[in-house]
Amino acid sequence: MSDALTDRTAESIAAAVRGGEASAEEVARAFLARADRTSKRLGSFLHRTPEQAIASARAIDARRAKGERLGALAGVPVALKDNICTRGVPTTCGSRILEGYRPPYDAHVVERLRAADAVFVGKTNCDEFAMGSSTENSAYFPTRNPWDLARVPGGSSGGSAAAVAAREAALALGSDTGGSVRQPAAFCGVYGLKPTYGAVSRYGLVAFASSLDQIGPFARTARDTALLYDAIQGRDERDMTSRPEARPVSLDALEQGVRGLTLGVPRDLLAAEGVAPEIRERFEVASRAFADAGAKIVDVALPHAQYAIATYYLIAPAEASSNLARYDGVRYGLRVPDLDLATMYEATRGQGFGREVKRRILLGTYALSAGYYDAYYLGAQRVRTLIRRDFTEALRSADVLFFPVTPTTAFGIGEKVDDPLAMYLNDIYSIPASLAGVPALSFPAGFGPTGLPIGLQLVGRPFAEETLLRIARAAEAWGDATTRAPAIAREGAA
Amino acid sequence: MPIDANTVRKIAALARLRIDPGEEGRYVSELASILTYVEQLQPLDVSSIEPTSTVVEGPPTPLRPDRIVPCEVREEALEQAPEREGDYFRVPRVV
Repeated sequence: MSDALTDRTAESIAAAVRGGEASAEEVARAFLARADRTSKRLGSFLHRTPEQAIASARAIDARRAKGERLGALAGVPVALKDNICTRGVPTTCGSRILEGYRPPYDAHVVERLRAADAVFVGKTNCDEFAMGSSTENSAYFPTRNPWDLARVPGGSSGGSAAAVAAREAALALGSDTGGSVRQPAAFCGVYGLKPTYGAVSRYGLVAFASSLDQIGPFARTARDTALLYDAIQGRDERDMTSRPEARPVSLDALEQGVRGLTLGVPRDLLAAEGVAPEIRERFEVASRAFADAGAKIVDVALPHAQYAIATYYLIAPAEASSNLARYDGVRYGLRVPDLDLATMYEATRGQGFGREVKRRILLGTYALSAGYYDAYYLGAQRVRTLIRRDFTEALRSADVLFFPVTPTTAFGIGEKVDDPLAMYLNDIYSIPASLAGVPALSFPAGFGPTGLPIGLQLVGRPFAEETLLRIARAAEAWGDATTRAPAIAREGAA
Repeated sequence: MPIDANTVRKIAALARLRIDPGEEGRYVSELASILTYVEQLQPLDVSSIEPTSTVVEGPPTPLRPDRIVPCEVREEALEQAPEREGDYFRVPRVV
């Protein structure tokens, strides 16, 4: 019974809790029991909150007993990436510099999920300050891929992706700056949505690169992704980039199929070196299936997308070096005592930040420093304009763009950890949409020859999240990409 | 634009970041390889292209009303301080 619950969609769990078919407490206990079995081996959580989960589930059940109407996520267990502030619950961003930090407030998305009657089960592991593509940069421990424990889950939101894939939570939130939701979703065989820049308030999201950061949902189905997106999107006056154009996705609209839609394929980007044959093959199979289902497939050009990684690795570190200036050992987090104030700053930051974070602070400081600002930072911002224009142009002739999320399936733990540039090059397909600010969805598209999941990406016009999810929903009918579970999620099941 | 141990020390000082002298060499080579990679942007003539600092388009995001709201988390916030004295954050000697 409990494993049957953890296999159910968030949509059906919420319906069962609202209708009294299952109690929120029973649901919470089922997911907590599953996480008891697997989360230590996977390294998916930095902080689990089972007592709070049971308490909030009981409160939801009590409200139902009184006849109150419950929210859209009634009793649904949700995991939160550890860079999302939760009042009184540790929020470390996977960093030693925030060890023990308990924010005095909830992020906007946390407030919204509470209002929808979701149940929080814990804070998930991530690369330190969301900087990384493998979750190996967590200062605490790495996360492992539920499909193969010797491989990475992707990153930086690797803990959230692993938790959803392993049925430790029905839904999770991550953050995506250059692919940190989409890439781990692809590696772990789940959905990951990077909403349009401005669709979801970042109030209470620890800032990494402010012109790029977006909070996004992880789920196992298109409809669940829509359910979670709907709960968190919308205008919030506490984030100056929060836009009034954001609107919820209609679940009914997701059932319309792909007939009449035009999918643009950026052939130049697909021709990039280092794309694994199984990724190409999955992409071609899915393209044919979309065409058979009535979509029109056209070629489009993104001529400047080849510059996206170079552009990103100037802009994101520059913004990070500024955002991370706040960690100074004065108001919260770690302090390493030293002679005076200035040396205390240096000692605290030197000891509190890990290697990748230091590398990016150095790179960003360099790119912003006198003499280099025009050539590096400003130059990158100008190239970013060209990349945005490419997307605007391509999305005139196509409703959405369609291409892979990653050039390969999940790589091995330790494989790229000593070569930062090789790690960065893995982001070639996820970074362009981040720079353009447009919505992008990673959806599960099947498995490679060794059984590792493969994700494919749909990129849309601003605030066209519904179109992306509608297309992915149509693809769910073709195979077992969204129903097959990793073996670790079956352990101990009756 | 070459990067050497001196440059790493200088930018580390600007960033208030203590770098272990034994690690300088590694940062030099890693930063050099990343900077070599980003050099590919240099041949692009972008002098006439406007820089993108935000991707937000359309009418300006509405301003919120400027009103006073209570913020009753003072004690919770102060509890997070590595060192406090009464209602103050305590820091080491400044001068």
